[in-house]
Amino acid sequence: MEKVSRRQFLGMSTKAGAATIVTGIFAPSLNSMIGFGGVAQAATKKIKPFNFAVLTDAHLYDINDHKFDGILEKAVSDVNKISPRPDFVLYAGDIGQTGLEAELVKGKKILDKLKMPYRIIPGEHDYYLDMGKAWRGLYGNEHWSFDHNGVHFIGMNSILVKDFWTAKKLTPHERMAWMEELECHKCGAWGVGSEQLDWLKKDVKNLAPNTPVVIMTHSPLWDYYPRWNFQTYDAPDIRKILSKFERVVSIHGHVHQVLYNKIGNISSAGLLSTSWPWPYPPIKLPYPDVKMNRADPGDFEDGLGTHNVALKSDFAGMMDYRAFSDLLPANLKRGLKI
Amino acid sequence: MKYKKHSKFALFALIAASLAFAIVFLNPVQAKPPVSKAEMKKQMNILLKAVKKGDDLWHTAKLGTNGLACGNCHPDGSASNPHTWPKYQTNLGKVGTLREMINWCILVPMQGPMLDLGGDDMIAMEAYATYTHRGVKIAPAKDEQHGAVPVKSGPGYPLK
Ligand code: HEC
Ligand SMILES: [Fe+2]
Ligand SMILES: [Fe+2]
Repeated sequence: MEKVSRRQFLGMSTKAGAATIVTGIFAPSLNSMIGFGGVAQAATKKIKPFNFAVLTDAHLYDINDHKFDGILEKAVSDVNKISPRPDFVLYAGDIGQTGLEAELVKGKKILDKLKMPYRIIPGEHDYYLDMGKAWRGLYGNEHWSFDHNGVHFIGMNSILVKDFWTAKKLTPHERMAWMEELECHKCGAWGVGSEQLDWLKKDVKNLAPNTPVVIMTHSPLWDYYPRWNFQTYDAPDIRKILSKFERVVSIHGHVHQVLYNKIGNISSAGLLSTSWPWPYPPIKLPYPDVKMNRADPGDFEDGLGTHNVALKSDFAGMMDYRAFSDLLPANLKRGLKI
Repeated sequence: MKYKKHSKFALFALIAASLAFAIVFLNPVQAKPPVSKAEMKKQMNILLKAVKKGDDLWHTAKLGTNGLACGNCHPDGSASNPHTWPKYQTNLGKVGTLREMINWCILVPMQGPMLDLGGDDMIAMEAYATYTHRGVKIAPAKDEQHGAVPVKSGPGYPLK
């Protein structure tokens, strides 16, 4: 598929969606919460209101009684207590740390304690030992879509990199160890790849532009900090395919932090992990008000949490960061408008 | 009178000679001609070897017992904030040094044995932290979570 630069893409989406993209109303103000919109979306298809939960980045080790096991257990029981009960749970990748089947099995055992169904996508830590074989055996397809109460949900594998291991004759364990480093500078940028792009095109082909869409990937669908793969190299292609929709909500794991951005019709939110928080990279955040506090390394639950997303009939949504410790600044305590 | 003058001169000469001796033989740094560019480069390379060693230590699970490495939580050494130390740190409960905080992070989040504060490994870990934050303004106890100096590619230091 033809590569579209960000500038080309922005130009295109402005023309294509001029009637529906309302800029400004999404911009956050200092005292108000951040908008994924819902104000001027009269044309968006009405949905039946509901809520769903999101978990991500447990990074389980194959070590008995590891502290991260307990945190994922806590996250699962927290989600089970959310009222009203979420219709389902989304899991955004990195359930394991070193790709061992034992880690993925342990994760599944804990996730199976959820009282509602869940859908999951892989992260790089689940994948590069056996190229996703064990993960697929346990969890099924790496990409999927489903409809719920009028909303179209999409999940995709965004951590596919070009082969860096064959020429260097790396063993699977070495390949995994390289990928385990966030700042791996020899692994390359990752994305969803052309096969998944073709699948996505077909998946959304027959959907009306006023269909509310939620897309989940492991990495952000924008260039946040490429050195840490806080990016998806073919995100411009994804955004182009989704540009026909009035409003798309993108949620992603991998960044282990509170984060927000908006590009064209797509608003995007980062997620808290259940393992460790990550520092913000040395760049200016596009929405500096959507930022969590520094975590206390003496409190193993600080910087971590779960999420509840409530969608109203006009697809206006509120994402509640359910931090385990006192992590959120006042402007985020009551949630992030999405 | 003449004799007195001579003795004064002799005393002065003796002091000057012993001073020169002290400078030449007891203080080798002062004795050298100005450090050449080549010499500075050599010294930098020795430092970069320590930085590389520190990089490896920041990215190994061997310092701890629960599988974690510093790099899990501190990519590129970010959020170690070397420019803010020494400072009062709640977990240390006193004014402590970067090295003491490195040891605290080995002990608590990684459940490993602390390193010798003056050992080569600890010095290398400190070298990695400071090198990845080169140029950041010294700011004792500043409430700031600082990212490492952005680098386009490579490990972040000019060493293969
Ligand atoms: C499980 C996650 C985790 C691991 C592993 C970890 N740290 Fe930390 N560390 C943190 C967090 C969180 C902070 C607090 C960051 C902040 O102040 O914003 C921190 C703080 C620090 C600080 C002090 C920063 C400041 O300004 O107070 C230093 C130095 C540090 N870590 C070094 C290390 C080193 C070296 C290692 C490896 C031996 C390590 N850490 C391992 C989570 C971790
Ligand atoms: Fe992760
Ligand atoms: Fe990840």
